[in-house]
Amino acid sequence: MDNKFFITLVPGNTFIDKLTGKTKVRIFLLLIIILTATWDIRVILPILLLSIIMLISIKPDVKKNVAIIIFVILMNLFNLFLTWIIKPDYGLEMVGGSTVLFKFTDFYIVTAETMWYFLVRLLKFLASFLVSLTFIQSITPSELAAGLHSIKIPYKICMIVSLAFRYIPDITRDFTNIKISMQTRGLELDSRKSSILTRLKQYVLILIPLIITSFDRVGNIANAMDLRGFGKNKDKTYYCEHEDTKGDKMLVPFIIFLILLYIALVVYKAVYKAPFEVWAPWIQ
Amino acid sequence: MNKTLSQKLLGTWNTKTIVGVAIGAALFGVLMNYGGIKVTTNTSLTSAYVIPAIVGALFGPLPAGLAAGLGNVVADLLGGWGFWFDWSLGNFVAGYFAGLVGLFGANVEEGVFTVKHAVIYAILCIIGCALGFGVVTPFLTYMWYSSELTITWIQAWAAIVSDATVLIVVGIPLLFALAKRNARGTNLSKED
Amino acid sequence: MSAVIEFKDFSFRYKEQSEFTLHDINLTINKGEKVLILGPSGSGKTTLGNCINGLIPFSLNGEIKGSCKVCGLETRDASIFKISEHVGTVQQDTNAQFVGLTVGEDIAFSLENDMTPRNIMLQKVDESATIVGMEKFLLSVPYNISGGQKQKVALAGILHNDVEILFFDEPLAALDPAMGMSAVDLIDKVYREKEKTVLIIEHRLEDVLYRHVDRIILINEGRIILDTTPDELLRSDVLKVNGIREPLYISALKNAGVVFDENDILSNVEKLDIDRYKDKIVSDFHKVNIKENIEKKEKFIELKDVSYYYGDFPALKNITFDICKGEKIAVVGKNGAGKSTLAQLLCGILRPTKGEILINGENYLKYSIKELSAFVGYVMQNPNQMLVKDIIKDEIEVALKLNDFSPELIEERVESTLKMAGLYPMRNWPVSVLSYGQKKRVTIAAILALRPDVIILDEPTAGQDYNHYTEIMNFITDLNEKYGITILFVTHDMHLAIEYTDRAIVFTDGEMIGDDAVYSILSNDDIIERASLKKTSLVTIAKKAGLDPKQYIHYFIKKEREAN
Ligand SMILES: Nc1ncnc2c1ncn2[C@@H]1O[C@H](COP(=O)(O)OP(=O)(O)OP(=O)(O)O)[C@@H](O)[C@H]1O
Ligand SMILES: Nc1ncnc2c1ncn2[C@@H]1O[C@H](COP(=O)(O)OP(=O)(O)OP(=O)(O)O)[C@@H](O)[C@H]1O
Ligand SMILES: [Mg+2]
Ligand SMILES: [Mg+2]
Repeated sequence: MDNKFFITLVPGNTFIDKLTGKTKVRIFLLLIIILTATWDIRVILPILLLSIIMLISIKPDVKKNVAIIIFVILMNLFNLFLTWIIKPDYGLEMVGGSTVLFKFTDFYIVTAETMWYFLVRLLKFLASFLVSLTFIQSITPSELAAGLHSIKIPYKICMIVSLAFRYIPDITRDFTNIKISMQTRGLELDSRKSSILTRLKQYVLILIPLIITSFDRVGNIANAMDLRGFGKNKDKTYYCEHEDTKGDKMLVPFIIFLILLYIALVVYKAVYKAPFEVWAPWIQ
Repeated sequence: MNKTLSQKLLGTWNTKTIVGVAIGAALFGVLMNYGGIKVTTNTSLTSAYVIPAIVGALFGPLPAGLAAGLGNVVADLLGGWGFWFDWSLGNFVAGYFAGLVGLFGANVEEGVFTVKHAVIYAILCIIGCALGFGVVTPFLTYMWYSSELTITWIQAWAAIVSDATVLIVVGIPLLFALAKRNARGTNLSKED
Repeated sequence: MSAVIEFKDFSFRYKEQSEFTLHDINLTINKGEKVLILGPSGSGKTTLGNCINGLIPFSLNGEIKGSCKVCGLETRDASIFKISEHVGTVQQDTNAQFVGLTVGEDIAFSLENDMTPRNIMLQKVDESATIVGMEKFLLSVPYNISGGQKQKVALAGILHNDVEILFFDEPLAALDPAMGMSAVDLIDKVYREKEKTVLIIEHRLEDVLYRHVDRIILINEGRIILDTTPDELLRSDVLKVNGIREPLYISALKNAGVVFDENDILSNVEKLDIDRYKDKIVSDFHKVNIKENIEKKEKFIELKDVSYYYGDFPALKNITFDICKGEKIAVVGKNGAGKSTLAQLLCGILRPTKGEILINGENYLKYSIKELSAFVGYVMQNPNQMLVKDIIKDEIEVALKLNDFSPELIEERVESTLKMAGLYPMRNWPVSVLSYGQKKRVTIAAILALRPDVIILDEPTAGQDYNHYTEIMNFITDLNEKYGITILFVTHDMHLAIEYTDRAIVFTDGEMIGDDAVYSILSNDDIIERASLKKTSLVTIAKKAGLDPKQYIHYFIKKEREAN
C-alpha cells in the first residue's frame, strides 16, 4: 500500500536522497520562492532544466510520474484555455503588446504576447511542480519534520507532520477493513451500480467507524508520548537528522547562490520598475 | 469548566491536542486523496471537510484550522500534485471557522449536537469557506502567482460551493450521528 | 530490601466518574521484585499502573486520597517527567505507542525529548536495540514489523533511560502464542540481567507463569483481594470466583479430582511433580469414553486448489478443504499466514487467482459480494470498526436495508435476530453504553440479520478477560447448536480452539499444513512448531503420566464440555 503514495517512508540512496532534511527543505523552499517571485523566462528555464535533472536523478517510478505530469500539464492547459476564453488579449496587460497572429472574431484573437505569457506561465508552473515532485519523492516524513525544525518551525508543529504520516498507513488499513465489512453487509460501492448521491450517503457509513476508530487512538498515543517525555524541554533533537554529508557541504554555495539570486530579483524589480510583469525578448 | 475566551479561540493545547491534530491531518490527507469526487484542479467534493468540524468539537478552532491546513499539505505530499500553500491557508481559515462551533456549546465528544448547533455550524462553514477560499486563497494566489483573477475566482467559487456543500450535507448528518454515538445513555431500562 | 513503590490508604476517582475506581490501596513493592497484577476487566489494573507511572494525575485528572510514593517521589507532586526517569511503561496497544516513523526513531524518542546530542543517541539506541534483538531493524517502518517486534521496540525505548521499574500493561494481548512466549522470555531476561523491578498486568496467567514470578496481586472492583505467591494463588479457588482463567494443567488436574497441598509447585507445569497424582490422572482418563461417533456431514463450501496472489506475492497457495454444515472450525496460524486473506476470499471480496470455490456444489463466481452475504458473514475483530448506528436496533437493520428487504420482513428479521442474540430487551439502547463484550455481540447480531449459513469471526476473544470471553463464546456456541450455523474462528488462542471447536485448519506462510481434529493438531509437535503455536501444558501432563497426548487432550476436551 505504501507505493500508492508519492511520499516514501523508506529513504532511497541517490545523491539527493542522501542529503539531510535541512538541505532538502532549504533548497526546495528557495526554488519555490524564486519561482513564485519571477516571471522571467531567463530564470525559469534554467530552474526547469535543473528540476528535470533532479527528478531523473532520484530514479522515480516512471509510470507513476509520467501519469501525474501529463495530468498536471493538461490541467494547466485547460486553465490557460479558460483564461483565453475570458481575456483573449491578456498579453497586453502582462507583456505589454498585442501582435495579432490569428483572429476568430474581434474579441477572440490570438496574440503573440498572450501566447508568450501562456508559455512562460506553463513553464513556471511546470518548474514548481517538478521541484515539488522531486522534493516529495526524495524526503521521508521524518526528514521533513527535522528539516522544518531546522528553519525554526516549532518542534510541536513538526511533530504533527511526522505523526500524521506515521498513522496514515494505519488509517488506510482501517479504511479498507471497514469498507470490506460494510461490503459484506451489502454496501454497493461500484460506481456503475449506484448514483453519486447514494454513494455520498453511503460514505457516511464508512466514515463514522473510521473517524471513531481513528480518534480512539489519540488517548493512547498521547499517553505514550507523555510517558517518554514529550514536551519536557523547549526543544528536541532529531535522531534521523544525520551529520552533513559531502553533498550537503557541496550544496552550501548553491544555497547561498539561490539566496543571492532571490535578493537580486527583488532588488531588480524594485529598482527598474518594469511596466509589465512578464519579460519578452521583443518588447523593450 | 470555565474557559477564557482566548482558550476558546486558541483551543487547549497539550499532548492530546497535538496528537488529535495529527490524526485529523492524516485523515484529512487520506480523504482528500480517496474520499471524494474531483470537480476541478483544486477542488473536489470531498468528505475531508468533516474533519475540521470534529477536531474543532474535540479540541477547539485553532487545532481544527491546523488539521485542515496541515492536512492539505499532507494531501499534497501523498498525491504528488505539487504544493498549493495558498489553498492550505484557505483550508486553515475554513477549518478554523468550522471548528468554532464548539464555542456555541456543541460538544460531539459528549454527545451534545442539536439543530441549533447544526444551523450555527452551517453558517460558520459558509463564512469560513467564503473567507478562506473567497478571500485568502485568491489573494495569496494573486500575490504569488499573479494568476488571472477571474480564473482564481471561478475556482474559488467552485471551492466555496463544493466544500460548503460537503461540510453541510455530509458533515451535519455525520456530526449528528457521531454525537448520538457518543451520547451517554440515561435512564436505560430493559424492555420486554 | 528497600521499597520502590508504596501505596498508603490510596484511593482514586476519575474526574468523569462519581464512584472511586481504586479504594484503600495499601501496597509495597520492593526493589528487584517481579510482580504480576491480575484482575477481571474494569477492575482498575491499568488505573493502578497509571498511578505509578505518573499519568495520573498528569494527564488523567481526578481526586486522590492517601499517598503513593514511587522511588521516594510523591506522585501527586512530582512531574511525569521526573517519574518517567524511574518508571518505564510499555502500554497495551503497542501499535499506537509506536510514535516514530522507523524503529530507530521510536527507540530514540525519549532521548530526543531529553535533547540528547545525536552521536550519544545513536550509541544508546544501538545498545538497547541489541538487548531486545532489534538491532538489524533500525530502519524498518512500523507496518513492516510484527506485533511482537513492536513490543520489543517499545521495551527498547524505555531501557536506555536506566529506569528502576519496568511496567507492562497486558504485554501479550496482541501476540500469537510463540511471540507471547518470547516476550515473556525477554521480559525475564531484562529483569535478571538489568536487575529491574518488574510489574506485569496480564490476563493470560499461564503464559506469564512460563517464567518465574515472585508475587501475584489480585485486584477486583478497585480493591486488592489477595497478595501472595503464584503457588499459593493457584492452590486456592479465588481465580474462578474473580473471573480469571486457570492454567489448563491446573484445570485438568482439578477435573481429575486432584487436591493440591503445600508441597506442590503449581506455578510451572515442568516442575510440578505429576507422579504423585499419576494414578488419579490415569484412572480418571479411563473413565471417559473418547470414542467419537463420526456423523457424516453435508458439504457446504469446497475450496479446490485455491491460490491467491497480491500482485506477485502468493498469500495463499493451493488450498483444498471443505466446510460442512454445522461445523465449528478454528483457523490458526502465525501473523501473515494468510488467514484474513482466506476470510476475504470466502466473502467474495477477493476472488481466487487460481482454483475454485464451490458453494453448494456451484462455482461461487456467479454470486456478487452482496449475494454472497446470504451465505457467508464476516465479523471483524474490533467492534468499533463495524458499528455505524447509534441505536442497537438500527444497527441490526443496516444490512437488511442495504439488501433491499421489504419493511415487513425487516421488522420481523430485526425482532428475531435481537431475540437470538439476547439483545431484545436492550434494543433501544445506544451503542455507546455497551461494554466491549456487548458491542461484540451487537456486531455478530448485525451479521446474523442476513442469516448467513457460515459466520467467520476474526479474533473474537483478543484482549478479553475470561468473563467476557466465555460470554461471547457461549453465545456463539449457542448459535451453532440451536440454529446450526457454521462457525469459522480465525484465532491465535489455543484455549479457544480446545474449548470451542472440533476441527483446526493450520496455515503457515500461505500454505495449509494441517487440517484435523483439534486434539490431533495440538499433539502434533511438527505442526505446532511450524505454525508458531505453543505446546499446551496438557501434552506435558500426558507425557509425564505416560498417556498418549492426543487421547489425553481429547479426554480433556470431552470432560470440559460435559462440565459446561
Ligand atoms: N480515563 C478514564 N476516565 C474515566 N474513567 C476511566 C478512565 N479509565 C478507566 N476508567 C474507568 O475505571 C475503571 C477501571 O478501569 P481500568 O482501565 O483500570 O481497568 P483494567 O483493570 O485495566 O481493565 P482491562 O483489563 O479491561 O484493561 C473502569 O470502570 C473504567 O471505566
Ligand atoms: N492488500 C495486500 N497487498 C499486498 N500484500 C498483502 C495484502 N494484504 C495482505 N498481504 C500479505 O499477505 C500475507 C497474508 O496476509 P493476511 O492478512 O491474510 O495474514 P493473517 O494470517 O491474517 O495475519 P494476521 O494474523 O497478522 O492477521 C501477508 O504476508 C501480508 O503481508
Ligand atoms: Mg487495562
Ligand atoms: Mg489477519
